[in-house]
Amino acid sequence: MIKSLSYSVFLMSCAAPLAAAPLNVRVTDSGGRPVSDAVVTLHPDIGRRAMPMAANYSVSQKDLQFHPFVAIVPVGARVSFPNLDPTRHHVYSFSPAKKFELKLFAKDQSRSVTFDRAGVVALGCNIHDQMSAYIIVTDSAWTARTDARGIARFTDAPAGSTMSVWHPYLRAPGGTMSRRLGPGERTANVAVKLRAPPMHAMDAY
Amino acid sequence: MPRFSSLSARLTAQFVLLFAVAMVAVSLSLSTAISGIASHQVESQLVSSGAVYDRLWQQRSGELQGTAQLLARDFGFRAAVASGDEPTMASALNNAKARLHVPTAFIVTIDGRAHGLAGQEARDAEQLWDALDEGRTTGIGMVGGKTRQLVAAPVMAPALLGWIVFAADLGQPEMQSLKKLSAIPLDASVLVGVAGQWRDATGGRPIDGAFLAIEQHSRSSAVFDIEVDGESAIALAKPLPTLVGDRDAVLLLAYPRSEALATARRLQAALAVMTVLGLALVAFGTWRASAKITRPLERLDDAAGKLATGEHVLVEVEGHDELARLGSSFNEMVVQIEEREKRIAHLAFNDVLTALPNRTMFQHHLDHQLKNLDDGSVIALHCLDLDHFKAVNDTMGHPAGDELLVSTAKRLSQAARGHFVARLGGDEFVVVQLVDQAREEIDRLATALLEAVSQPQEIEGQQLVATTSIGIAVAPSGGNGAEDLHKSADLALYRAKEAGRGTFAFFEESLNKRAQERRRVEQDLRIALEEGQFELYYQPLFDLEKNKVGSFEALIRWNHPTRGLVAPAEFIPIAEETGLIVPIGCWVIREACRQAAEWPDDIRVAVNVSPVQFHRPGLQETVIQALAATGVAPARLEIEITESVFLKGGEETLRLLHNLRSVGVRVALDDFGTGYSSLSYLQSFPFDKLKIDRSFIENLLKRAGAAAVVRAITQLAQALGMETTAEGVEENEQLSELRSQGCTSVQGFLFSKPLTAVQAGSLIGGEQRSAGRDAA
Repeated sequence: MIKSLSYSVFLMSCAAPLAAAPLNVRVTDSGGRPVSDAVVTLHPDIGRRAMPMAANYSVSQKDLQFHPFVAIVPVGARVSFPNLDPTRHHVYSFSPAKKFELKLFAKDQSRSVTFDRAGVVALGCNIHDQMSAYIIVTDSAWTARTDARGIARFTDAPAGSTMSVWHPYLRAPGGTMSRRLGPGERTANVAVKLRAPPMHAMDAY
Repeated sequence: MPRFSSLSARLTAQFVLLFAVAMVAVSLSLSTAISGIASHQVESQLVSSGAVYDRLWQQRSGELQGTAQLLARDFGFRAAVASGDEPTMASALNNAKARLHVPTAFIVTIDGRAHGLAGQEARDAEQLWDALDEGRTTGIGMVGGKTRQLVAAPVMAPALLGWIVFAADLGQPEMQSLKKLSAIPLDASVLVGVAGQWRDATGGRPIDGAFLAIEQHSRSSAVFDIEVDGESAIALAKPLPTLVGDRDAVLLLAYPRSEALATARRLQAALAVMTVLGLALVAFGTWRASAKITRPLERLDDAAGKLATGEHVLVEVEGHDELARLGSSFNEMVVQIEEREKRIAHLAFNDVLTALPNRTMFQHHLDHQLKNLDDGSVIALHCLDLDHFKAVNDTMGHPAGDELLVSTAKRLSQAARGHFVARLGGDEFVVVQLVDQAREEIDRLATALLEAVSQPQEIEGQQLVATTSIGIAVAPSGGNGAEDLHKSADLALYRAKEAGRGTFAFFEESLNKRAQERRRVEQDLRIALEEGQFELYYQPLFDLEKNKVGSFEALIRWNHPTRGLVAPAEFIPIAEETGLIVPIGCWVIREACRQAAEWPDDIRVAVNVSPVQFHRPGLQETVIQALAATGVAPARLEIEITESVFLKGGEETLRLLHNLRSVGVRVALDDFGTGYSSLSYLQSFPFDKLKIDRSFIENLLKRAGAAAVVRAITQLAQALGMETTAEGVEENEQLSELRSQGCTSVQGFLFSKPLTAVQAGSLIGGEQRSAGRDAA
């Protein structure tokens, strides 16, 4: 799924203006360690563009965990929540971007939710506290997630844009920090302060 | 070191001092050890109590946190927080406060706002965001001006929405309940450090000056000392987490030192009491022991003191140690000293030769008897003197004399059995007789004494009959004191001797008078010598051949200033007894020579010389000096002596006479025909003249025998070439008879009584003138 997402980002970059250039954003914590699962979003001053819609989006529940932990979807995407566990799950979100509750009481039962506002949607299960996941509903085509080395790659980063970095444990209001990208900046290093992950999320992290 | 008068006191003091030093040293080290152990114990108690408090604190926090977490997971609550549903949040908080007995509960959301509180409390709560965001969930914090224990739990949905916070009070009740759980009475308080000062969060009182100490020890978690409310305490500071950035907090556990060390203090007090008791015991024991050791010494000391005062004392001897030997030696010494004293006393009061009491004891005895004399009783003092004892000594030797004295002492003691007998010295003995009434007893004893002594006895192989004379004086009539009585008895003895020896005589008052008279005369004689009261008279001796005065006999006269002329018979014997005759005789010789120097050369002067003068040294020198001083020819001086000169002296007297003769002095034998009239004297010494005693001249015409004696004497003298002088010629018939018998000179009142020097001078002058006429 991540692979297909990367692929789509790659495809979108081909359609970028001529001013666009590759950009690597490296996210580290206060200890200098790479931070994965951070979501980097570029907001160009001009020439904003929505992310192209993929065929389907899903956040499954398997082995009492959400998969994936962090999902990036464009505004208006419909995401399915298949229950692959033999147990019941009660998936909820109190996030302002999308509030919903899905009671998936049977195996292989799947329901879908359409996310029509940009923002971060925190997912939880009311039965299993340790289950946690995030869906980033973005309105920008330049939205990427850091890999295990903490690097988010953009092949066609637009010049003159503001960069925002989000991470579920980032210690900042709204879990987001932003800054302007310098002209011609091809490699951006972002150091973030993270709070300790909740005990039940340690396994996933 | 002070001076002690007793050995036991010194021993006690020294031992007690020694023990005191040792015991005090032991006590002090024990006391220090107790203090150390107690401190250590208190510290470990404090540390363990601190651990208990830690657990209690954590338990309380945990409980609160548990409930907070429980609430934070409630789906409805989370939904309310996520949706910012204030009324639901408030009601949920109130519900939790009531159910969980938490006084304050509120919510701090991730956007930094506080819910469930208002005003200052809300602003305080919003200050907690940083700490909560850092993940701190328990700690001390200020809410509404009060320091409280805060416990927070995150509200996740599932992303962090905020924190639910429970705040528990930290007041005295909470601290008291903590104290109840401790094994030791701890003073627990939570301190918050603000601006360099610790403030007691529970009571609000500031703790001054201990900021650094508490800060340091809260890190080291070691026990330290602190002053709380002016009282010393042992303290332990445990750091507490805070939920406010710039503040430190500690849990201070203080153990007041007085309480902590109370047990140790009691132990130390008991130790002090035991030390004092031990010292008292040592002092008492040492005193008893030393008293026991020194008791023999004290006895010796005491005994020596008594011995010095003359008391008979022996010490008790126990055991066989050095002190016992010292005691035995002391006792032996006491016995020896007493024996020596007895011997000395015996020597002091007894005569060595006869073992009779001596003069000293006699005087004591007599004094004592006189003082204790009963009315009507009398004491008779018998003074004895062996007759002619000197002759025995001289002829038989001193050992014989001593033997005689010893036998006499025995005889006297036997004869005077029951009476006090003493030897005063030489051959002098006394018997003190105590008589009730009868005077006869005195006579009887005196007679018995005479008889006892006069029994014949054998001394050194020779038969000897000793006799004694006894003078008896009776007290109280014979004298008051012992001395008077003895003198009286001596006078009586003198009389007994006069009475012919071998008898006894009682003292009479006349004897005493005579003795007094003699003493007075003796004194007067000395004065007379000094003041020149003596005068020489001269009686002419008429030479029958030449029909003229051939010589004068110098006769001494004493012109006493009050008594007038004193006869020589009255004072010469006294002068002889006292020895005054020597200076008087010396004066007579010089005066006679001086006078003779004024006379013609053919007239001699005759001087009487006493036997006493012969027996004292200096006579020869006196004569030679007198002759030399006056220039009188020695042949003009005639010494007249009596036969008694030969009774004493013997050879010595003869040698002196020969010496005088060799000088040229003439020697005449006076009073010839009386006394011993031993012809052996005439043979042994060539006298120049014999003076026929006046008793023969008196009877010359009356008794035929007298004439025959005179004739025999003159013929004997003629045969031996000696002159003769008849004394006391008073009648012409006597003169004719003497002339016819060939007597060479006469002397007497018929011619002249003794003349003064002036008269003698004129007699000589008259004779020379008539002789001149005859010649013309």
